[in-house]
Amino acid sequence: MHKFILPLLASAALVIAMPAFGQDAKPLAGQSITVLMPSPQGPNIAEDFEAETGIHVDLQTLSWDDIRPKLVTALVAGTAPADVTEFDWSWTGQFSAAGWYMPLNDVIDADTLEDIGVAKIFTVDGKLLGIPYTNDFRVMLVNKKHFADAGVANMPKTLNDLVAAAKAIKEKGVTEYPIGLPVSATEGASTSWYLLTKAFGGELFDKDFNPLFLQPDSAGYKALAFELMLLKDGLVDPASTGLKDSQINESMFSQGLTSIMISGEPGRLGQMNDPKQSKVAGQVEAILVPTESGETRSFGLPEALAIPNVSENKEAAVAFVKWFTSREFQKKNAVNGFLPTRTSALSELNEAGKLNSGDALVAQSKTVEALFPQGTPPWYPQFSSGVNTAINSAAKGQMTVDQAMEAIATAAKQAMAQ
Amino acid sequence: MSVVASGNVANKRGVGFNADTTLGLLLVSPIVITMVALVFYPMGRTVWDSLHRVNPMQVGTPFVGLENYSRMLSDAQLATTWGNTLTYVVLAVLAEIILGVLAAALINQIKTGRQWVLAAVILPWALPGVVNSVIWLWIYQPGAGLLNGILVALGLPFENHVWFNDRTSAIIAVTVVHVWRMMPLTIVIVLAAMQGIPAHLYEAARIDGATRVQMFGLVTLPLVRSAIAVAMTNATVNAFNLFDEAWVLAGASLETRPVLVQIYLETFQNLRFSYGMALSVVVTLVSLLISLVYVLRVYRNTRFD
Amino acid sequence: MKTTLSYKILIWTGIAVLLVWSLGPIYWTIASSVTPSADFSTRPINFFPQHFTLDHYSRLLGVNIARIGGVEVFKQFRAALINSVVTSVAATLLCVAISAFGAYAFTRLQFPGRKALFIIVVATLAIPAYAVLIPLYQIMIKLHLVDTYVGVALIYVSAFLPLSLWLLKSVFEALPIALEEAAQLDGAGRLYIFFNIVLPLAGPGLTAAAILTFLGAWGQYLVPLIFSPQATKPLTVLIPEFVTKNFIDYGLITASGSIAIIIPALVVIFLNRYLVSGLLAGSVK
Repeated sequence: MHKFILPLLASAALVIAMPAFGQDAKPLAGQSITVLMPSPQGPNIAEDFEAETGIHVDLQTLSWDDIRPKLVTALVAGTAPADVTEFDWSWTGQFSAAGWYMPLNDVIDADTLEDIGVAKIFTVDGKLLGIPYTNDFRVMLVNKKHFADAGVANMPKTLNDLVAAAKAIKEKGVTEYPIGLPVSATEGASTSWYLLTKAFGGELFDKDFNPLFLQPDSAGYKALAFELMLLKDGLVDPASTGLKDSQINESMFSQGLTSIMISGEPGRLGQMNDPKQSKVAGQVEAILVPTESGETRSFGLPEALAIPNVSENKEAAVAFVKWFTSREFQKKNAVNGFLPTRTSALSELNEAGKLNSGDALVAQSKTVEALFPQGTPPWYPQFSSGVNTAINSAAKGQMTVDQAMEAIATAAKQAMAQ
Repeated sequence: MSVVASGNVANKRGVGFNADTTLGLLLVSPIVITMVALVFYPMGRTVWDSLHRVNPMQVGTPFVGLENYSRMLSDAQLATTWGNTLTYVVLAVLAEIILGVLAAALINQIKTGRQWVLAAVILPWALPGVVNSVIWLWIYQPGAGLLNGILVALGLPFENHVWFNDRTSAIIAVTVVHVWRMMPLTIVIVLAAMQGIPAHLYEAARIDGATRVQMFGLVTLPLVRSAIAVAMTNATVNAFNLFDEAWVLAGASLETRPVLVQIYLETFQNLRFSYGMALSVVVTLVSLLISLVYVLRVYRNTRFD
Repeated sequence: MKTTLSYKILIWTGIAVLLVWSLGPIYWTIASSVTPSADFSTRPINFFPQHFTLDHYSRLLGVNIARIGGVEVFKQFRAALINSVVTSVAATLLCVAISAFGAYAFTRLQFPGRKALFIIVVATLAIPAYAVLIPLYQIMIKLHLVDTYVGVALIYVSAFLPLSLWLLKSVFEALPIALEEAAQLDGAGRLYIFFNIVLPLAGPGLTAAAILTFLGAWGQYLVPLIFSPQATKPLTVLIPEFVTKNFIDYGLITASGSIAIIIPALVVIFLNRYLVSGLLAGSVK
């Protein structure tokens, strides 16, 4: 551990032009920083970090939904919510436009950036605003036992296979609603539609941010029509209009009431295969996302650590970010449900046999794209809220696909207008 | 305006700086300091900011006059949320007042165990709002929820009924949660007023041969009118501030989204701070105006009595 | 009036409906908190827990395991419980004291701007918390009061003062003035009268104001979320942490909710007659 951390710290000290405390192993000892992250986090973060660097950490945790209002309130008031904070991929555009966070290009070495491929999602105009610590992307989670019970031998590679498998499962009475798909007015409904849009071989916008989902033969249009078809054919529970993705995972998939999570999260595999938290332990597996063409696609939704510009303890904060995203720590942190963002750490864990469905995850992680190849725009949150509101209304039968696509295009236009 | 005028009248009556005045000012000074520092000044800042463009994603905060307010007129989504909020206000105030007065009258009728019944009835109000909303989320849940469970047990076809798939039932479901939490306040206020009605009035009505229903209509209701106005004011302000219930039960769903959720989204999701501030100023004014209507009506009516 | 049997039945049926309506969801919370997680998705549902368990409570109180997903639940829970009590009690005492002084001044003393001040203060009841959140945060930062008991308690005071002041003003107005006049003739000072005559008479009203403030402060969520990030974090902010991005722990939520309601429930059970008699004393005008 020390072997790895020391050079990192030393380079940090050099780069940020600290007076070189040459031999001192703990140049920042005695400093104190605050860190704000969503709960739950690993148990010994503060103790371990202090033991290695002498920097004291006040770790503050909040529920995921509460983090953003807390950050925004403090930042707009011109104060630091903490020295190191959570930074979700979806905030990148806004927070970059607001200039709230410190660019980390100069304090992170090239090898690290090379190893953490998804870091580019947090880069705007060449400025790296956050270092990803948990690697979320989309895979498909399936209940192998349900497939076997329904006599489906091969895992679906195309969307047609997927529908056929779901119908077989339903007909055999294995589960009443084989497919889990959130269509509530929450972020999970948006991300599922984005994934299906990719699965139908398309993108949301062209390079000038003109919507690409308005035509009936466009991928986005087909994706929503596909979702409504799944609902109409009784493959998706009509109650999904009120369920967040987490609720479908918890109260349906983990209970064996549904067999396929189209827009599955790799970080859930551990929990779903833990007999204490899941009734389907040992039956859950990740497979590559099926697409119309059969060639898998996925996109990344990583979370990063970042340092507000107004933080008064930047050196110590940088040290924490580096430590938390180091290869050794990522490998340790995987047991807490945080998939490593470092390709090296991911491969090593898989080789050591410590990853559930490791091969599928490693294979899928190599196909991960950014949702917005041009960089996440500042209007993303408003757009995304327009997307899930429209999908939710369509799923409740209050809108047609045409109207929903129109509504999404309007929401995008309004969001861009600021 | 009249408010300021009446303050001046007190002045002109010639109350100089005698001992009482000094003591009076001294005694209210903690209130003045607290409210100025923590409410009036921040509210002033909010009003001021609502006249500027405050958006951290854009440089500077130029003065824009009433632009944030005029923009509301062409905001279609906002219009929907106002419609939802006004529906909540009407439904919640009616339910809380009608059912609350009936409940208070019921409790006023019993002698034994009144304290315990009252405690039970107040309890929903004591439950923290966060817990309250999560519990109801669970009650309304289509599969294993309590509500569908009860209806199914009664032999009704509600196995997987989704309450939030229909706008009407979704709005009602949100209102029920709000009313469940807020009605205790109405009950307590009205019950207190009912207990203050002198027994001899009922006695007199009884001698005149009034039935129970007549007594309720002729004696009880007129005498608790001002308490009802207070309860209605509270109910109105609380219904305008409805947030948790809609947010936890239906997320940002446009069909149930109240104005306060819209303010939250504009401010914290879209980072349009000044627009959000202008909206919250309007919500404050509207709920104040409506409350004022009740209060004035009641004072006028009681004066005629 | 002679109460007939059928009338009695009618009344008690109404009371029964009222009780089911009020207590049903609370019963469901408590019943769920002793139901094993595995039974949460049983269909059709059971109205009574089929398998009794204290597992959620033991997790919450750290009996078997110290951590859930890395969060030291018991330590956090105990701290949050203490924080909730401290901030609510401090806010209640401060709020009732300030509004009692104020209400006395508003009812018995003449000073310029009296009516206007009262109306403006009461009108702030209509301001939603979101309207003042950001400027308030800037102020609290400048005063170094974020994440302190004093800071949070002061915000609660400013939020609940209008209601408490309104109530106490009506209470004081309804008190017989003859006693005070008699004492004044005997040469007693205003403050002597206030502490020795007015306050004792206004006991139920003061208690009612205290209950209203305490319960209001106990249930606050948005304010502590922003102003009590860590050292003073109360229960209401801790409980939603059991709903993470990926996981809703209904067991922990219902168990902590059941515990979070104990203190308000005790307040309500033992003090509710003061609540009514206090409001009655003011007959809220």
